[in-house]
Amino acid sequence: MRSLVPVVIAVAVLALVQWLTSTSPYFTYLALVVGVNVVLAVSLNVINGMTGQFSIGHAGFMAVGAFSSAVTSMALNEYRIGFLPAGVEHQFFFIISLTVGGILAAACGFVVGLPSLRLRGDYLAIVTLGFGEIILVIVRNTPKLGGALGLSGKPQHTTLFAVWFTVFLVILFSRRLLTSPHGRNLVAIREDEVAAEAMGVDTTAYKVRAFVVSSFFAGVAGGLFAHFQSIIAPGDSFSFVRSMEIVVFIVAGGLGSTSGAVVAAVFLTLLPDAMRAVFIKFGGDNESLAQSIDQLRKPIFGLLLVLMMLTRPQGLFGTHEAWDWLKPKKKVEPQKGAAT
Amino acid sequence: MSAEPLLHAKKVSITFGGLKALADFDLEIRKGDLQGLIGPNGAGKTTAFNVLTGVYLPTAGDVLVCGERVNGRRPHQINRLGLARTFQNIRLFKQLSVLDNVRIAVLADRKPLFDRERVEKLKRSGFPNRLFGTGLDAIDNYRDWWRALLRTPGFLREEEGIEKRARELLDVMGLSHRVDELAKNLPYGEQRRLEIARALGTKPRVLLLDEPAAGMNTREKADLMVLIRELRTRFELGILVIEHDMKLVMGICEKLTVLDHGETIANGDPSAVRADPRVIEAYLGEAPAHA
Ligand SMILES: Nc1ncnc2c1ncn2[C@@H]1O[C@H](COP(=O)(O)OP(=O)(O)O)[C@@H](O)[C@H]1O
Ligand SMILES: [Mg+2]
Repeated sequence: MRSLVPVVIAVAVLALVQWLTSTSPYFTYLALVVGVNVVLAVSLNVINGMTGQFSIGHAGFMAVGAFSSAVTSMALNEYRIGFLPAGVEHQFFFIISLTVGGILAAACGFVVGLPSLRLRGDYLAIVTLGFGEIILVIVRNTPKLGGALGLSGKPQHTTLFAVWFTVFLVILFSRRLLTSPHGRNLVAIREDEVAAEAMGVDTTAYKVRAFVVSSFFAGVAGGLFAHFQSIIAPGDSFSFVRSMEIVVFIVAGGLGSTSGAVVAAVFLTLLPDAMRAVFIKFGGDNESLAQSIDQLRKPIFGLLLVLMMLTRPQGLFGTHEAWDWLKPKKKVEPQKGAAT
Repeated sequence: MSAEPLLHAKKVSITFGGLKALADFDLEIRKGDLQGLIGPNGAGKTTAFNVLTGVYLPTAGDVLVCGERVNGRRPHQINRLGLARTFQNIRLFKQLSVLDNVRIAVLADRKPLFDRERVEKLKRSGFPNRLFGTGLDAIDNYRDWWRALLRTPGFLREEEGIEKRARELLDVMGLSHRVDELAKNLPYGEQRRLEIARALGTKPRVLLLDEPAAGMNTREKADLMVLIRELRTRFELGILVIEHDMKLVMGICEKLTVLDHGETIANGDPSAVRADPRVIEAYLGEAPAHA
């Protein structure tokens, strides 16, 4: 049961933060956006960073989770569970819809993961890219999902607690995965697929599993996203550009590094808002500035990525983790035969 | 010795385009055997390893591991039947620690949810059953992910067991002072020994070594050959070793197979092989390593 201690601590801390910040809608909104991006980055890192497969369709899985969980919770909204207080009931329904979103996304991950049995590198990337686009086309042409205009009128269930508890879970998941045989098998595939196979690792099965678990979290992130946006439309928030943004997070953070993905996602998400704040401080005019900064975001992303690749191609953290530096250095073991 | 060889190749051939890289290759390895596979560069030795371990599908002939025909099975399945190998062009998990390299190979000492043999059989059968087998396998595997994520006592015990075994193997291969280093930072000779430690991690019954002494100096080579003999008795293995250096291989192997242009040109005990005129001819073009 000691393994659950971090969960208890996280719950307590997050509840406190939520209570303290409940009066600041701006902060809360930023925290939600950042948190969703962190979940996306950390989960994509399982495929691209740990397993070394190149997926550029993560926004597609997010879209599956967003639209399916939104539809689920809109349907559930019709029902009442008599004996539960409304707040508890909402959260209960919310968890159900998030789970539905996650599972459907995971199912899509399974289907997309299957071609990765045969495809490598660029070809796999194209399949994932195609998947992302297909999802958008389906949404656009399905009136039930809001069509091209988007889906609105969803319950607004998402709280800071829900998002950051998911962040906590996905990080814990990544960490514990890496120190288990399953995570090691994924990394072995990244390092040398032929050798991994020769050492008894079922590489095809593990690649599919990487897709499944990663997509599950992307789906949950989508569900969280859907429940604090007033409208979700098959546009920017789920586009190819969005997928690339998530790729940039993990490449900048260092492919394979969970903590790198977290740091990069937080930093790069806050960057435009920080820029805006700085400009306003120096007397910029608010309206037009906000727009031009949003337009500047993509070129700045690109520039950062190029700079990063030139100066630090392994990313911010390489494959290292922040907590590796916190850990006390292991004592060097005495050499064999060192007589006393 | 047992009548059934652990590794049995029957008239195995493979062609690449028009090139016959291996022709009618026969081989029997039993427990305790230490066999050599030699031949000039490009003779087809590595290709033979690749066919035996399932990297390539033979164009003709059969490969049997522990009595089971393994043509068309994937390398990891063949490995689980008890056949492990090293690579001529070292293929370690470079960015990982020495310990992790071996840990990946070591299988947890865990009771599977479903009968392993039945699942494997299902996975090899026709369409509907195959899907069923794969499903059972996935269920078992995902259950194990949960144990790993929740850090159950059973999981922690298994992890300890894996680490202990990995450290033992590293000790055997003289690498215990290197456990925490990255594999890529080891000197060449130690990388080759790490490859052997990793292969041993899969608990093989037959070990295939592809030029394990390549790039080592004479002294290291001699040490390694002694070590290989020890491994055979200690782990009760059958060993097949590819080695370029005739003198070395003559020194430790009890039986030799000589390949040239994919053909088996000689087969038998070292002194007879050395005297064989075809072997001498094949090696004349090469450096006179056995002079
Ligand atoms: N995948 C392949 N495709 C085409 N030719 C191959 C392949 N693998 C090996 N060969 C050829 O088979 C022959 C035997 O190679 P190999 O088994 O590596 O020789 P060696 O005895 O030196 O290990 C060589 O001529 C090589 O070019
Ligand atoms: Mg070779």
